[in-house]
Amino acid sequence: MTAGLKTIISLSFVLAIGFLLVILSCALFHQYLPLLVVATYVLAPLPNWICGRCANPDDFVESSGNAVVDFGRFCTGFLVLMGVALPVLLAHSAIIRWDACVMSIIGGGLIYGTIIAFSMFFEEEQEF
Amino acid sequence: MSEERLWKFRKPEWMNSATARSAGVYGAGALFSLAFFTLLDAAVWSHSSRNGSNIHINFIDWLPLIFSSLGMLIINSIEKTRLSADSFSYSGSGVAWKARVVLFLGFASLAGGMAGGVTVLVLKYVVPQAPWPTVYMGIANVVSNGLVMLSSVVLWISQNMEDEYSYNLAL
Repeated sequence: MTAGLKTIISLSFVLAIGFLLVILSCALFHQYLPLLVVATYVLAPLPNWICGRCANPDDFVESSGNAVVDFGRFCTGFLVLMGVALPVLLAHSAIIRWDACVMSIIGGGLIYGTIIAFSMFFEEEQEF
Repeated sequence: MSEERLWKFRKPEWMNSATARSAGVYGAGALFSLAFFTLLDAAVWSHSSRNGSNIHINFIDWLPLIFSSLGMLIINSIEKTRLSADSFSYSGSGVAWKARVVLFLGFASLAGGMAGGVTVLVLKYVVPQAPWPTVYMGIANVVSNGLVMLSSVVLWISQNMEDEYSYNLAL
């Protein structure tokens, strides 16, 4: 119980640091486009989750169920890389500065890591 | 199954695991994202202050990527098991042929996208002898089409992996 509480507290700290980095990368340079990274990473696990609910991956007779799961994974992979590619794109076109780009990538990575760790945590709880 | 093997080298064992399969699908999505954002980066860059030339990216530059993505969509929408169906098998007459024709269209579209990328690079950037930072836009076009091709290869391989995996489980 205490271990779970510690996990929740440390994860929320990491999430707060991630948001801090992303918001700082926007507010320091008065260019609020890096906030899109947060939206991307929040949306990233969503296709995987929806398609996982839609299909039963253990059903080997009906192979179309696997295709839906694969489509969800494809979309998740797309969105995860989008979170890294978007700041680099903005920095390369001189819309934001390179340090803002690095800050938003690190912050986005922390946010996404928190989301992944949280979902793994809850999955483990559901098994019992 | 092992008697029907065509190649001398067998597939390594780790390729049949579920983890490798899902990693392949994630990787294919990431590669496709990289392709899309390479071209989007060139498009945004061409309209930013960094671009000092008169050459800009318009719809023509996007056309090869559209064709490549269409080809990738077609190739990976085909049910792979229908391809190996012989004409005398239970799958009915002509299903394998239909699958092969549609697959051919998909591959043609993919290769056409790649060729279109090279064409845009040559006709729009190399022939007018554009200087280096401008040529980047054409190179990004070719790179993004190549990445779409790589992505569809990875997706194809990981989907074939899935068949082997489910076959092993079905036994």
